[in-house]
Amino acid sequence: MHNNNKTALTCALLGITLSPSLHANSQLTDNTPKLTALTHARLMLEPGKQLDNATLIIENNKIKAVVKDNEVPQGAYVVDMRGYTIYPGFIDPFTEYGVDYQYPEQSSSGPVTDIKRIGGNAANGAIHSQQNWVDYIYPDKDSAKAWINNGFTSVQAGIHDGIFRGRGATISLADKKANEVIYNASASHLMAFDKGSSIQDYPNSLMGSIALIRQTFSDVQWYKANIDKAHSKQAKNNIEYNAALANLTNIDKEHVLFETRNLNNLLRASTLLKEAKINGTLVGNGREYARVDEIKANQYSLVLPLNFPAAPHITDTDSERDIPLSLLRHWERAPANPAVIAGAGIPFALTQHGIEAEEFWPRIRRAIEAGLSEEQALSALTTDAAEMVGTAEFSGKLKAGYTADFVIAKGNLFTDGTIHTVWLQGQPQQLIDSRNAHLEQQYLLQLGDINLSLDLKQGDKLSGTLSSGEQSIELKALAYQAGRLTFTGDLSEAGYPGVSRFTLWFDDKGARGRMLDSSNQQWPVAGIASPKAPQPAVVKAAEKAHYVSSVTKPNVAYGLTQAPELEKVHIKNATVWTSTSDGVLANHDVIITRGKIDEVGENLSTPSGYQVIDAKGKHLTAGIIDEHSHIAINGGTNEATDAITSEVRIGDILDPDAIALYRALAGGVTTAQLLHGSANPIGGQAQVIKTRWGVSANELKMTQAPKSIKFALGENVKQSNWGDDYDERFPQTRMGVKSLFEEAFNEAKAYRQSKQDWSKMRSSEKRRQIAPQPNYRLEAIAEVLADERDVHIHSYVQSEILMFLRLAEAYGFKANTFTHILEGYKVADEMAQHGAHASTFSDWWAYKFEVYDAIPQNTCLMQNKGVLTSINSDDYEMQRRLNQEAAKSMMYCGMSATDAWNMVTINPAIQLGIDDYVGSIEEGKHADVVLWSDNPLSIYATVESTWIDGKRYYDKQQNRQAQQAMDIERAALIQKILNRDATTEMGKPEVLVQEPEWHCDTHYNAWDQQHAGSVK
Amino acid sequence: MKTIISLAAAVFSLSSLSVAAHDMVPAPAQTQDILIKNATVHSPSKGVLTNTDVLIQQGKITAVGPTLNAADATVIDATNKQVYPGVIALDTSLGLVEVEMMRPSNDVYEVGQSNPQIIAVSAYNPDSEIIPTVRVNGITHAQVVPQGDLLAGQSSLVSLDSWTIEDALVPATQGFHLYWPSIRRLSQDKDKRKEQLDEYQQQLKQIEQMFADGQRYHLANRDKQVSKIDLRWQALQPLYQRQAQLFVHANKQLQIEEAVALAKQYDFKLVIVGGYDSWRLADLLNEVNASVVYTRTFSLPMRHDEPLEMSFKIPSLLAEAEIPFALGFSSDWNSRNLPYAAGQAAAYGLTQQQALKSITLDAAKILGVTDMGDIASGYRGNVIIAEGDLLDPMTSRIEQLFIDGRQIDLNNRHQQLYQKYLKR
Repeated sequence: MHNNNKTALTCALLGITLSPSLHANSQLTDNTPKLTALTHARLMLEPGKQLDNATLIIENNKIKAVVKDNEVPQGAYVVDMRGYTIYPGFIDPFTEYGVDYQYPEQSSSGPVTDIKRIGGNAANGAIHSQQNWVDYIYPDKDSAKAWINNGFTSVQAGIHDGIFRGRGATISLADKKANEVIYNASASHLMAFDKGSSIQDYPNSLMGSIALIRQTFSDVQWYKANIDKAHSKQAKNNIEYNAALANLTNIDKEHVLFETRNLNNLLRASTLLKEAKINGTLVGNGREYARVDEIKANQYSLVLPLNFPAAPHITDTDSERDIPLSLLRHWERAPANPAVIAGAGIPFALTQHGIEAEEFWPRIRRAIEAGLSEEQALSALTTDAAEMVGTAEFSGKLKAGYTADFVIAKGNLFTDGTIHTVWLQGQPQQLIDSRNAHLEQQYLLQLGDINLSLDLKQGDKLSGTLSSGEQSIELKALAYQAGRLTFTGDLSEAGYPGVSRFTLWFDDKGARGRMLDSSNQQWPVAGIASPKAPQPAVVKAAEKAHYVSSVTKPNVAYGLTQAPELEKVHIKNATVWTSTSDGVLANHDVIITRGKIDEVGENLSTPSGYQVIDAKGKHLTAGIIDEHSHIAINGGTNEATDAITSEVRIGDILDPDAIALYRALAGGVTTAQLLHGSANPIGGQAQVIKTRWGVSANELKMTQAPKSIKFALGENVKQSNWGDDYDERFPQTRMGVKSLFEEAFNEAKAYRQSKQDWSKMRSSEKRRQIAPQPNYRLEAIAEVLADERDVHIHSYVQSEILMFLRLAEAYGFKANTFTHILEGYKVADEMAQHGAHASTFSDWWAYKFEVYDAIPQNTCLMQNKGVLTSINSDDYEMQRRLNQEAAKSMMYCGMSATDAWNMVTINPAIQLGIDDYVGSIEEGKHADVVLWSDNPLSIYATVESTWIDGKRYYDKQQNRQAQQAMDIERAALIQKILNRDATTEMGKPEVLVQEPEWHCDTHYNAWDQQHAGSVK
Repeated sequence: MKTIISLAAAVFSLSSLSVAAHDMVPAPAQTQDILIKNATVHSPSKGVLTNTDVLIQQGKITAVGPTLNAADATVIDATNKQVYPGVIALDTSLGLVEVEMMRPSNDVYEVGQSNPQIIAVSAYNPDSEIIPTVRVNGITHAQVVPQGDLLAGQSSLVSLDSWTIEDALVPATQGFHLYWPSIRRLSQDKDKRKEQLDEYQQQLKQIEQMFADGQRYHLANRDKQVSKIDLRWQALQPLYQRQAQLFVHANKQLQIEEAVALAKQYDFKLVIVGGYDSWRLADLLNEVNASVVYTRTFSLPMRHDEPLEMSFKIPSLLAEAEIPFALGFSSDWNSRNLPYAAGQAAAYGLTQQQALKSITLDAAKILGVTDMGDIASGYRGNVIIAEGDLLDPMTSRIEQLFIDGRQIDLNNRHQQLYQKYLKR
């Protein structure tokens, strides 16, 4: 029995016995018994459950039983697995394996607004949700190797192209016909923000993609509710068949796998799915550790790549300066990403997407060194992954009834083990030529009367020595082919002059063979194997990885290690700029409590427990408010692919990592309205934020701000400065701009009417009629017409200003704020009469034709005619100096200091509809205050501290300390990189995707960028 | 003592001029002596001189001191007023650009890598509507600089009040402008990195070749061996003869180091324009007696992690490193904000005097002009009379401005439109 086992082991590992392909004979039925017992193995039944010295029984393609005592059923083919560990087969949820399909190549020149409609596809070229990838599964054993070699037995497959990418299929990597490899024909709906190969212009921004997804989710619900009524005789209209929507109608009960490019997008995807109440999994990017609490809160599972970057190039000190701290940090922290995610209890799988397949296991081991437990790693590879791809009922464990997908490894795979065989649906695929195992032994050979020790070493090339006592010779020309080892050696010292040639072959007992000496005489050689003394395992004891980097919020330079606290402060003896009718109050005190301004007065007594700030000689103001900004957003400020894009939302794309937030704080800015660009007449929905540093994207939002939207007039919307390719899209003149607005307003009006009509219908009628299709684009415009959404309209010259004023009047809504409005002074009376506000530049002019009549006295002229006026920046740099910009009106047209100061505080607060909360120093308002070193309108004033909601988000002193700490951290990281062992380094240095500074007219295609990190 | 021009009179003259011609009439040469009395004089070299008089005769300052007297001079009572030298704006495109985005009105950028023969003043428009809006902020002169790839041409120093380009031109050391190639950010991607470095190398080679060719021409020319004029190298001769200087537009350390190496090789007089990293290179720059025109005061930090106030404090770092420098403002219309850039630099470490000097006397020095930029005897009568601090828009109210003793019309397009719409 024992001997049989030994033989069988060899055979099993050779993969010969059970491989039907080698028996294939179409004339005869294959009736080979398929009952196998793998005995004496260490079985990793499932994460946390291990059985030693146990037997796995396999019959056909399933696990028949797990037996503890190695009792083997009768008739079983027995393989002794002593020294081997068996793991459940691994699952990669994110692959394009085995899909025999290519989207037809499309070429285009110039703007593409519509795509070819074929077979009920969606109107947008990035929506392919009608695709069921199971229809195109065609196993390919060559490409399967990339996964099988790492122990994967099944994957989810689909083509990763577009926003709605169709439905994935979970398939086995077995070399069988397609029908047999399908594990789950309807796995995840695959999604991403990236529009992929779609030639259609829309969407070209991140917020456009998000809007398209949101609209599609809504369309699905509407389609589901109405498609059955489509052909009802009473229905007044018909609706089109839409295969893309039809395939999504149950998405809320199914599973989505959402690929993202970066951490912000991962969080955006989870927010979006949550909003639509859809379950799913997010494909991560490697930086998840930086916002793990937010990821956990959204409760989506993850697929993590192991794309730990190589160290950045830092030897050249000149280019090193350009490398942000965040990148240096990530080099050190990336391997800990899976451990951090596991530590937070977030279920996750691993993918070999984005890395070289050969590096998969070395990278897992790196993750384990960085704190991931073996059990967590195993769950990621098996049970958690099975859950995501919908095969948990029958795969991911070694369990009776489960599919016979498993991995046989010598040693512990998570430390230094190697995979020997992978069983796919009951068929073994051998990875390591077991004959090579012979080479890992030491042999004691007998040659004549000499005892020799043969030591072989397998590196890139086979090498070896023959030794006897103290003497040792290096062997040459070693070759191991077809189970025979040949080499040469000079054994003169042993009494065989010249170079002798050896031929040896091995079995389990040892080696036999012959030597031919220089005189062609043959000598028999024989010997026994003596296993090499096991290498002492490298003790990677619980010694925790030592990090020189910090992880901060956000995880960039100047990020915070702890969130600022709600302060109880008594600011004494300040010159207080109230931005109210009280004007500037000398020697006043302000008390801040619970995030609000509690008291303003003279000689106030300090409540107990309050910190006192002596502000003698200093000035305290309300935080500056910027009506027009484009900071802290990702993926484009314009969705300029259509003249009307009111469905897109700046609020969807906030970037809490943006250093611009911190820089704004240092300039005393506490609130900003982030606007869509001005590339089209009806742009996207704006977002008012507070410049809180270190919070989440969502926490940037100022929740009290009313809804607003960006409209635009002038050269940008008529595409005057876009080059010669852009002379076709309507409108090209200011005359045309007007009709575009009229058209949009009429459409929106009709849309709202249809919704109102619907809501008045009896329910019996509703059952027969098609409901109006919700349309986020028209909805936002309808809100404008109903004064439910404030318009901030980019405008310059008087003709267009008056045109819009009159148009607003004709449609019965208020034109809230004209932004830029450089010729506002020419029509200030009319603006005042309408009640419109103005937000302008202090002194910008002459950069394009429509600002040739811009004058720096514009503020005074408008203000004096009763137009509430503010100064905005529309610029990252100028935003930091809005106090100086306000002062310019004192210089150019003699404005009073208090009026000038109001232009950057209370006036923009009124324009944004937030003056009940911010914009002045008044009891009860938010404690958004700034302490200045000097008169805030002076060029010499600098910000000492900035509070938002009573939390100090910027402080000059703390900033200096942060700067010093950062210098130290940077230096330490650079030393660590310079001292690293570059020979074991994997992957490539991380390539940062650098977005531009956004401006009104930034033209940007969010999808032309390469993937971040080393993800391919 | 003939007339006393008061503040009220100055304001009156402004509004009365609003109905005048579309453009402002250049002032005639000074014939009448001007005596400014009881002023607070801000001298970049001597500091603040209270109760001081300034006498301007025939376009020049002839005396500065307490209680000066001059018969027949127009006396300006400057009690409680501030007197400054006229500001010189470096690295501007004034007069070359009217409306930046309208191509026909934009004459600043020439194609080609080697255009040393180009001279800015040849395209300068003294009637640009922009110019009068710039000088109201105290800027009397500007260095007008052509832009391009690599060797873009020669700058010109102009007075901001002239009839023609010829009266605009002020003699200064000839300056050639070389835009050093740059890699904005060296990629971490291997292929992209190589591509960037190859392109950069290529451009460096071009520079090397250009100056080697110029040198050949110079040697041949010296020995009277030039048979046929090469427009480019002929123009470049003064540089090799050390009669001109080379303005290298560069911000990063690497670029500046390479520029210094070039200057050393040919013994060129070097000025770095931009100069963001120059404060790190005191020894290197001082070794070749280079100076710096720092142009990025109102900019974001060039690198993500740098101190928030980096751009603001570089002037003080330059001062600390004892590198001669002046402030510039690379723009056309926006160069009117140069005085406030100096104010900003003062808020971040420069003294008021250093800040003023960096836009007046030090700017003149860099241009090789010895009679501008100060309120002192022998200097041109380029004088600002203001109510407040020239560097702080909160208080700065410029009331009178003189270029070579000529009183300049402070009206401009903005004033005209303002006055017009005040009437609506």
